[in-house]
Amino acid sequence: MKRTGLISFLLLVSAVSPGASSRAADDPAQFLSTYCVECHGPDTQKGDRRFDLLTFPPSEELGIIEVQDIIDQLNLGEMPPRKAKQPDEQQKLAVIDALSEQVLSARETIASVGGQTVLRRLNQREYLNTVGDLFGMPMKTFDPTTKFPRDKTVEHMDNIGEVLVTSGYLLDQYLEAADRVVERALGMTNQPETKEWHFNGNFDQVQELSYSHGRVYRFRYLCVYEVPNTVNHEGGYAAISDFADGVSADGFYEVSVLAQSMHRDTPYDPAIFRMDFREPFRLGIVPGDKRAGTLHHPQPIEPQLAEVTVGDGDPEWQTMTVWLEKGQTPRFIFPNGMQNCRNAFSTIARQYKDDWPENDPYKGGIVEARRIVLQHGKMPHIRIHEVKVRGPLYEEWPPEPQKSVFGEGGFSEKNIREILTRFADRAYRRPVMEEEIDRLVALVEVRKAKGHSPRQATKDAIKAILASPSFLYLAEPKTGGDENPDQLLGPHDLAARLSYFLWSTMPDDELRTLADNGEIMDREVLRLQMDRLLHSPRSAAFREGFLDSWLNLRSLGDMPPDRDAFAVYYARDLQNAMKEESRLFLQHLIEKNAPITDFLDADYSFVNKPLAEHYGLPLGNFPPETAHQFQRVSLGPESHRGGLLGMGSVLTVSANGIETSPVIRGVWLLENILGTPPSPPPDNVPPIDPDVRGATSIRDQLAKHRDSTTCNECHRKIDPPGFALENFDPIGAWRTHYPKGKTKGPMIDASGELPSGESFDDIIGFKKLLSERQELFARMLVSRVMSYAIGRRIEASDRMEVDRIVGAIKSGNNGMRSLIEEIVTGPVFCSP
Amino acid sequence: MPNEVTGMARTRWHSDYHGRRKWWTFIEPGEILPMADSSHLITRRRFFLKSAGATLALPAMNSLLPGVLGSGLAIGAARAQETKTRMVAIGNLLGFYQPEFFPESPGANYKMTRLLSPLESVSKDFTLYSGLDHGVKGGHFAIHSFLSGVLSMDAKGRPEGNISLDQRAAETVGGATRFPSLTIGSEDGIHGGCQMCWTRAGTRVPPIPGATELFRRLFVNEASSDLTKVKDRFDLKGSILDAVAGDARALEKRIDAEDREKLDEYFSSIRQVEKQLEQQRVWADVAKPEPPFKEPKNRNMVDDLPILYDLIVLALQTDSTRIATLEIGGDFESRYFDINEGYHGLSHHGQLQAKIDDLLVLEDYQMKHFARFLEKLKSIKEGDGTLLDHTMVLFGSGMANANAHTNRNLPVILAGGGFSHGEFRAMPGEGIDRKPLCNLYLSMLHKFGVETDSFGTSTGTLI
Repeated sequence: MKRTGLISFLLLVSAVSPGASSRAADDPAQFLSTYCVECHGPDTQKGDRRFDLLTFPPSEELGIIEVQDIIDQLNLGEMPPRKAKQPDEQQKLAVIDALSEQVLSARETIASVGGQTVLRRLNQREYLNTVGDLFGMPMKTFDPTTKFPRDKTVEHMDNIGEVLVTSGYLLDQYLEAADRVVERALGMTNQPETKEWHFNGNFDQVQELSYSHGRVYRFRYLCVYEVPNTVNHEGGYAAISDFADGVSADGFYEVSVLAQSMHRDTPYDPAIFRMDFREPFRLGIVPGDKRAGTLHHPQPIEPQLAEVTVGDGDPEWQTMTVWLEKGQTPRFIFPNGMQNCRNAFSTIARQYKDDWPENDPYKGGIVEARRIVLQHGKMPHIRIHEVKVRGPLYEEWPPEPQKSVFGEGGFSEKNIREILTRFADRAYRRPVMEEEIDRLVALVEVRKAKGHSPRQATKDAIKAILASPSFLYLAEPKTGGDENPDQLLGPHDLAARLSYFLWSTMPDDELRTLADNGEIMDREVLRLQMDRLLHSPRSAAFREGFLDSWLNLRSLGDMPPDRDAFAVYYARDLQNAMKEESRLFLQHLIEKNAPITDFLDADYSFVNKPLAEHYGLPLGNFPPETAHQFQRVSLGPESHRGGLLGMGSVLTVSANGIETSPVIRGVWLLENILGTPPSPPPDNVPPIDPDVRGATSIRDQLAKHRDSTTCNECHRKIDPPGFALENFDPIGAWRTHYPKGKTKGPMIDASGELPSGESFDDIIGFKKLLSERQELFARMLVSRVMSYAIGRRIEASDRMEVDRIVGAIKSGNNGMRSLIEEIVTGPVFCSP
Repeated sequence: MPNEVTGMARTRWHSDYHGRRKWWTFIEPGEILPMADSSHLITRRRFFLKSAGATLALPAMNSLLPGVLGSGLAIGAARAQETKTRMVAIGNLLGFYQPEFFPESPGANYKMTRLLSPLESVSKDFTLYSGLDHGVKGGHFAIHSFLSGVLSMDAKGRPEGNISLDQRAAETVGGATRFPSLTIGSEDGIHGGCQMCWTRAGTRVPPIPGATELFRRLFVNEASSDLTKVKDRFDLKGSILDAVAGDARALEKRIDAEDREKLDEYFSSIRQVEKQLEQQRVWADVAKPEPPFKEPKNRNMVDDLPILYDLIVLALQTDSTRIATLEIGGDFESRYFDINEGYHGLSHHGQLQAKIDDLLVLEDYQMKHFARFLEKLKSIKEGDGTLLDHTMVLFGSGMANANAHTNRNLPVILAGGGFSHGEFRAMPGEGIDRKPLCNLYLSMLHKFGVETDSFGTSTGTLI
């Protein structure tokens, strides 16, 4: 539970909650000298603590720790000791409040970077996108950043310069990555010959299936049974065993499959499979690399490259064109397959044992179960009869990366300086300096002297460019130097800022030209560019990056929901569907300039069929053929959905995958929706130790907690929003009762009372109250978008700009696009 | 020249690239500043300590060149004369079920609990602690502080960031061993896994993920053509660092003070890679020890746990490293015990006995193999004692009670290392006499020979 954000926001909350005691009169120093200094003062320093020399507010780390300690002791009621003079409860609360606030503001002051973005390193995803753009090469199947340490975040933001540290380890990884990137982009000198492969047998399967496939099919078919995301991985990836070494050169490959769907009309209980047999079976391709682990298990790099639907009749040929890296082999997956084929095999073998025409009755045992079901049963699966692969195929030669780096004529020794100038100029996102080129040319000479070819030496110099601070950092120097701190960002830095904000990558040619001729400094030009960038499909990078940063959606999956209790989460790929819903929602707000208050409540959302089922929405409009595609749906109040608080993504990320906690969800909501983070719990207070044996509900436990005045001070703010969400289970499905084992437990009470005294019965009532606090939300959202846009925390000195933007968009219709526009054209965005 | 020295130091240091690389590149940023006139060095006590250690290490390595050495195992033998202190730290993701871990009463004659019982045979070789922790909160989000005492988000502004015990110790090993430290185990797990090891810069040291990779690092030599390539890569990296350091100096002139501070990270990163390259260049010519058995295949963290422990023993025995950590997370999972519910789910047992029973199966297994590891170290004679006498082994977790998500009162065992043992020490977990776990770490660092008066959140030593 991190606590940051502006004090002013805290003040606002307290203004919202009448009953908070007045603070002006409380003087911590006075309080301490009355109750504490006798034992912790100049004469005695019990526990080695002395308070008479403390300054308020504390100005350095040690003082903060000391003050925090005082707060904790007061909270616990341990100090002053029982036999000493006691403050009354009101006094105590008031001083705790005052001290907490001081600690908060002192921490902010210490963390402050003076309202200026610190030299900002590209984060991992920005690095990846930028490298792809620099060379104009596809990056889906190639990730040189897998060994980079995970970027540090502040309030889930992954692009805050101040905490994006660089270490020796990371720099070494940059060198390694540069090597891989450059050799991949520029390594091939001759066009590799196009080859053809034809596989029509010897299709061995994952080890667990090998025996039964050998016995029953003699390895004639390549079969895929289940979704990739299972527990056991015993039939979710079909790899061609004779093609395990993969292709020998990067390039496009035509993969043709002769395939058919088997037993979609299964005679067995559909519940065994947890799949929807009305949908046509889908066959996808992901890359696999045996050096990264077994081909039958998930691997770090496995984006889905292509997909077809497979018919039920005779096998048919279908062709997909996919990019594969050297060493990668295509693997087939079944995205709407069954959930766990191991269980399905044994269940079918047992449940339908009278069907098996064998002399020896089935005795259990998974190995025999597989064989029997394959031999005599009707196990649903996709069956591949033959596979043809042809490639590599190139749209042009030399390929784009070589052309863009070496020029149309290809590499020539006399152009080395020119090649390096052109490349560095793009990589550094500004005109390159002579001195920089000199250093690179010197490096080329050193490498040549070591016996390397001019071409290799030039590639080595390009690797140096990718490790240069001018590439790795967004420098954004003040154009006026230290003396003129109020200057605006220079045109190249402004172009880069806009581009990294909305595309998470380097400026494209158009933006670069406007930076070179300075026109980007014109607000109207800047606004038009913002429009253009937002309009492009590449702005998906913003929607993903920002939602991951604001709502912490990147953590979905960090606390994986229990596979047994929440099997549907895996069977129907809900995690990705949930993220997609949130992204489409944001996209809609931007495109239509719809009001940001729709985040708080809305009568529409975007779902695919699995998600609609999960939410209990009507399914009439989802034809089986396009069940996994998203569409806009209208939501009535009976759906309990609408806005962020009805989204599976938010409800899942604010739970822990096992159970829900009103405290955790309450804090999540205060932090990310209202922007009013509560103080962290005092040390030494025992957290609630879940005890699900008895009848004590979490509500009872929390009620007990709130009996204590000190606990109540925060929990009366935290718990109620959490209660309002209790009707949603840990993956966001609606529930009326708590689970008790596999049965219904106690009824859920989702009512609550806000500190203001307003009360609500359930989520609908709560959202109404939330809508009345839209100003708080607007302020929070503006701060988060702005923070993401400029790569630093929002500080007290930014308050004016935040207020200005909140006011400006309110005079319109609170549109999301207006919000972004106000930020981009505002003074903070255009300053270093 | 005081204020110019920083800049001079960098210049000086770059011009030295292709010739003799000096051991003063060991120096921490801002700590030591070589003068323009080559061999003079600012005299700071810590520097001399490090420098002395480093120069001592060189002749030792020279005597280990392949010609002199037959079998790699001789490395261990050749150097057995010097007393070497080692450090191993083992941590898991979800802690241990406390009622079956901590005995009821402290002292030398405590009664072994179910989870401790596998350690019976080495009961005089370890100390069990209760009441120790880092005072942090956050459940899963805080376990990464196990070896550092500091949450990664709080690292900024602390003089040593959230550097972990092992990395702090490794900084003093220099090039004396092939690997300054080995971080081993599960890359991932709930919320990124154990994430025990952190550098001074606040970045995680990712673990070597499996037995195969560890085996290769320890025993498989590069082919000679590969070796030429490897050395050429060192050269290339050196040349690139030359060039980018020039870029950084140019950039430095154009930015303001706040940004310059940030750029210092980059400069110190260059120095770190330089230092590492230097070590790698020396070790590239020294043959690795003979592999004692066939290359193991990676299976999963459960089945591979004993092999990883064995490989750690070998790494210490052959003096390939003196520091190792083991992170038990990732696919250390119930399914390999034929238990249906996941490890994480079991840890949220909600006091249901059936779940606790299953949980204990997973925990018993970890204790059993930890005991086996200690027994193995103890069975190996070295100098005047055993390998265990010269290896301090820390075992525990950053998670205390997974059911309640607490990080207070962590499970902590310290074995071997020449400390006196055989006790259950119940430390006061609350109040004024409370001792942070970092005090124990400071004691360990002192034993390891690190001269420092603080570590993490320490307030003193514990032993």
